[in-house]
Amino acid sequence: MPLDTSTYSLALLRVDGRRWNELRRIHAQIRTQAAADGSSYLEMGHTKVMCVVTGPSEPGPRRGGAGGTGGGGGVGAGGQSKDAEVVVNIVIAGFSSVDRKRRGRGDKRTLEMQSTLANTLAATLHTHLFPHSQINISLHVLSQDGSLLAALINAATLACVDAGIPMTDYVTACTAGSTSTYAANDEGADPLLDLNHQEEQELPGLTVATLGDSDKVVALVCESRVQISRLEGMLAVGVDGCKQVREILDQVIKAQGQKMILDGTVDKGTGLNDMDLD
Amino acid sequence: MASLKRSVDSDPLAANISNKIYVRSTKSGKVQKIVREVYLRQDIPCSSKLCQRCLVCAPKDASGKPTPFVLSDSPAGTKVFPQGHYLVPDTNAFLTAMDLFEQDSAFYDVIVLQIVLEELRNRSLPLYNRLVSLTKSEDKRFYVFFNEFRLETHVPRLEGETVNDRNDRAVRKAVAWYGEHLARIKEKDAPAIVMLSNDRDNLKKAKQEGINACSLADYVRQLKDGEKLLDMIPETQDQDQIKEKRPGDNLYPEYFTMSKMMTGVKNNLLHQGIFNVSPYNYLEGSIRVPAFPKALLVLGRENINRAVDGDLVVVEVLPKDQWKEPSIQVIEEDAITKNENPDAEESDDFVSEKERKALQEEVKRTHSKTTEGHAQPTAKVVGVIKRNWRQYVGHIDQSSVSQSAQQGRKQDSVFVIPMDKKIPKIRLRTRQVSELLGKRILVTIDAWDRSSRHPSGHFVRSLGELETKAAETEALLLEYDVQYRPFPKTVLDCLPKEGHDWKVPQSMEDPGWKDRQDLRDLLICSIDPIGCQDIDDALHSRPLPNGNFEVGVHIADVSHFVKPGNAMDAEASIRGTTVYLVDKRIDMLPMLLGTDLCSLKPYVERYAFSVVWEMTPDADVVGSRFTKSVIKSREAFSYEQAQLRVDDSSQQDDLTKSIRTLLALSKKLKQKRLDAGALSLSSPEVKVQMESETSDPIDVKTKVHLDTMSLVEEFMLLANTSVARRIYEAFPQTAILRRHGAPPKTNFDELANQLKVKRGLDLSVESSRALADSLDRCVDEKEPFFNTLVRIMATRCMMSAEYFCSGTQAYPEFRHYGLASEIYTHFTSPIRRYADLMAHRQLAAAIEYEAIHPSTRSRGKLEAVCKNINVRHRNAQLAGRASIAYYVGQALRGKATEEDGFVMKIFSNGFVVLVPRFGIESLIRLRDLAEVEPQAEFDAENYVLQTSGSREVKVELFQKVRVRVTDQKDETTGKRGVKMELVRTC
Repeated sequence: MPLDTSTYSLALLRVDGRRWNELRRIHAQIRTQAAADGSSYLEMGHTKVMCVVTGPSEPGPRRGGAGGTGGGGGVGAGGQSKDAEVVVNIVIAGFSSVDRKRRGRGDKRTLEMQSTLANTLAATLHTHLFPHSQINISLHVLSQDGSLLAALINAATLACVDAGIPMTDYVTACTAGSTSTYAANDEGADPLLDLNHQEEQELPGLTVATLGDSDKVVALVCESRVQISRLEGMLAVGVDGCKQVREILDQVIKAQGQKMILDGTVDKGTGLNDMDLD
Repeated sequence: MASLKRSVDSDPLAANISNKIYVRSTKSGKVQKIVREVYLRQDIPCSSKLCQRCLVCAPKDASGKPTPFVLSDSPAGTKVFPQGHYLVPDTNAFLTAMDLFEQDSAFYDVIVLQIVLEELRNRSLPLYNRLVSLTKSEDKRFYVFFNEFRLETHVPRLEGETVNDRNDRAVRKAVAWYGEHLARIKEKDAPAIVMLSNDRDNLKKAKQEGINACSLADYVRQLKDGEKLLDMIPETQDQDQIKEKRPGDNLYPEYFTMSKMMTGVKNNLLHQGIFNVSPYNYLEGSIRVPAFPKALLVLGRENINRAVDGDLVVVEVLPKDQWKEPSIQVIEEDAITKNENPDAEESDDFVSEKERKALQEEVKRTHSKTTEGHAQPTAKVVGVIKRNWRQYVGHIDQSSVSQSAQQGRKQDSVFVIPMDKKIPKIRLRTRQVSELLGKRILVTIDAWDRSSRHPSGHFVRSLGELETKAAETEALLLEYDVQYRPFPKTVLDCLPKEGHDWKVPQSMEDPGWKDRQDLRDLLICSIDPIGCQDIDDALHSRPLPNGNFEVGVHIADVSHFVKPGNAMDAEASIRGTTVYLVDKRIDMLPMLLGTDLCSLKPYVERYAFSVVWEMTPDADVVGSRFTKSVIKSREAFSYEQAQLRVDDSSQQDDLTKSIRTLLALSKKLKQKRLDAGALSLSSPEVKVQMESETSDPIDVKTKVHLDTMSLVEEFMLLANTSVARRIYEAFPQTAILRRHGAPPKTNFDELANQLKVKRGLDLSVESSRALADSLDRCVDEKEPFFNTLVRIMATRCMMSAEYFCSGTQAYPEFRHYGLASEIYTHFTSPIRRYADLMAHRQLAAAIEYEAIHPSTRSRGKLEAVCKNINVRHRNAQLAGRASIAYYVGQALRGKATEEDGFVMKIFSNGFVVLVPRFGIESLIRLRDLAEVEPQAEFDAENYVLQTSGSREVKVELFQKVRVRVTDQKDETTGKRGVKMELVRTC
């Protein structure tokens, strides 16, 4: 068995060789499924998720009245409302974690993530532009290695961009933790950026999502015990991480845009004059 | 359609990311394949102070502070590497010779590779912890180099390569990289990088690759005092030699495989438990298993099968025809295996002639027995799950030393006899026999092969001459695992900055006064033994207008000074308790707190934690309250002074009156307690008197009991009980309490039978009340001590009290049997017991004085703390008793006295006599009775030993005897102890 998180103090290296303020490798693609309105694929280290967005479209006959009860986390009143309803559905593949585990539809953790995600996106997408309609976001988790919620938020953002749904700005997320456990109560604990599965198990951590380049926090989830004095440092590092993630996502989208122009899929519009296509 | 595949290759970072893939099995037997990312980097410094380039990439923590470099710029050299060198040991080196690395004389500037650390952690957690603490010590300069994360030294596992081979290759690669890296330093000769390994293959490959590599032994020989250190390398390195031995040479049966044992235990065919060796017979062990109410016996060398006292073993029950009674004979290892030759491994008899004889006698006895029902199930050890080997204190058996070894420097095998009689002789190979003879030495056991009769071990260090005070005290502390090193700086840093000048703040506005009650005007005094410096408790009482009394117990407010979670708290929780030896006190907390700032010294203001009751004159508690306070003790009495003052009717001042009130109330409290069924038990307690200047022991006194002692005791018990109730109310799951389990009835079987047979007395053990009453009836008009003797023996049948966390037991189990109290805790001695400190913190939180700290309410943590302090508490008691025994021996040195004694245990070839005057017990063997060992007839049913032949005596249990007590140096254990000779029976 390799070393655990307690060896951080020996050389300021984490269990996977990162420093405290480093993200894992993030790899993302958009428009992975041509048939969908919007789609994306995102890896943060070994956490791999894909996202498909359908809509905005007319709500299905059954869902409309029920307000998204069938699809999991739904926000907005659906068909009757002035705003579009955001319905999030997360499927966690049985093979995604070390122990093969089937999670049913009613899994509480999944439900909670669905509703967090739906709330976060509903606040950022301009849902008022699509009255009486529904935006369906389906997420599939292929592999899990920590920071799952953050990866899901990032993938959903990308897919929404791909679907061309108007939104205020990118919503990017990442996790932050602390190098010593709650019980150890170490005063000099360093904050950590982007926890992997092992760190998530052993150390306190939180997930934070911010809006674009700003410091506006749109989602903050902390499920572990941590001393209040450490929280500020963790949050600062998390917000900083979100900005780095935004840069990466931005590049992915710009690269895709360039490719589409070069392919002739879209015309080079007037607004893109300043875009360098070399 | 866009492809999702091959995303890694397209990424420019991909070259820096690798995966670590391994397979592990969980406790439940599931196999998991784990894939982890590994980020390779080039900014992991070499940490040598010589290297300028790495300074740039010194890692910084979140506050921007760079990590200082570890390895010295002028490392020590050896004969072969005069330019200086850094060491890179492999896992095996640490596994076999961790003691070497902890030496002060050598082994500085060591590079610990990550791969080595990982492997060590897998193989042995204690060794891993020792290594981690070495890397944290500043002067040893151990640096952990994360070779697996550095791009240049990362080694992927090749197809078909074993994990071990890969790890060896990783070590060599890291060594090579360090060599190249440091060679680029221009100014002077770079230090050599030396790999330490005992693996021949690895060494050979290193040679081929042109890397400096040595075996441990070769390296140590290069050092200045190498000869001495050489002994600390265990000899397991000559594995090839062992293999050459024929399999027929194996003396012991092979152990079962782990999986076979596990299935056996699961199916209830095999049993698992801790192996205990009988203190009187080294060939008899017992093991308590959950499946049976009584312990299983393990008899004989072959059945014991290399288990050592304390090991966690698996046993198999033997067929019924091999069941036996526990031995009634004393078998001491040294007497039987005295002349064994440590070199002669090939002795054709495994069970020696004498051992066989001793066993024969046993068999004869069991066969002659008509009462079949007495036989106990026996078992044999089939495997060891976990060794509980530690370092043992002992000395070299003079008789095992050959003449040539005493002069030359040749390596020689000798036997070390451990101080603990339950541990077998340890075979030791050493070159310094002549120097170590007559010294107390510390050794460890390395291995016990099937082919070797005794375990083999290696020398760790010498403690000094036998029978010198320093060596014996240290031996004692080591043997009972007492932490006696001075407090480290990190601990001392937690003390108040003012030092001895610290005072209770004048201004009531000070945060220290917050929620504290001012009790300085109360007439408080403390009563303690003479010379007590760490005064934990003080008392007061005053009449109330309504005819009741207000009684207060004030306890030193240690929790004010020791904050949870800091270094001092961590150290105290490890130490667990203060250990009192005859001439020495090993403190749990630094002196400044224990004897000054916390100690409730007279005439000065101190912080306290007070329990105040309102009591009726009949000592019924009407109300109680708890508060943090400031007190000023008026006087610190000794028990004797307080007694004199109370007895002196001319003293009519308020303070004396209040002590008299307390005394009167305490007597009523005691009576109530006894009525509820509290036991008054007994143990032989003596005090060693020292000469004031040389502190040499001169006399032994039995302790006298004074009323004032039980005065203090009663109120402390009351305070403890009140506090226990309060914290249990506030924290039903996590209160730290103390319980004393009711002893199983079978524990008393033997004593009850003995009393019945010898005196016709009945011992009823249904409840503590019944036991207390029946103990009261055990009197012999002619012999007042008889009652005490029975109480001493009854005490030994009891369970020991233990700390526990309230959530782990059901409420009825909380009961303290001895005190007949429903609930109990320790609150009154926070200076010397960690449990009390925890209780203080919980009580402070319960009365909302401060917020509860997470460590004080985490059940997991509390359970770990309880487990530790239970062990420490017991060890402290044993160490204290051993210290008294040693000094009693010293006090009797050169004197011979005749004393009265009592027979308290009887064997077929000897009996144990207790001498109350010195509080000692000792074995008198048949062969001690006369020049020629007399014949003896032993009647086990009536506990009578009748000798005939060279001397005729009849010895019975409980009999009063006259013995001559002299001191004698026990040749075998090297302890000076008392020797008793039977003068006559009375």
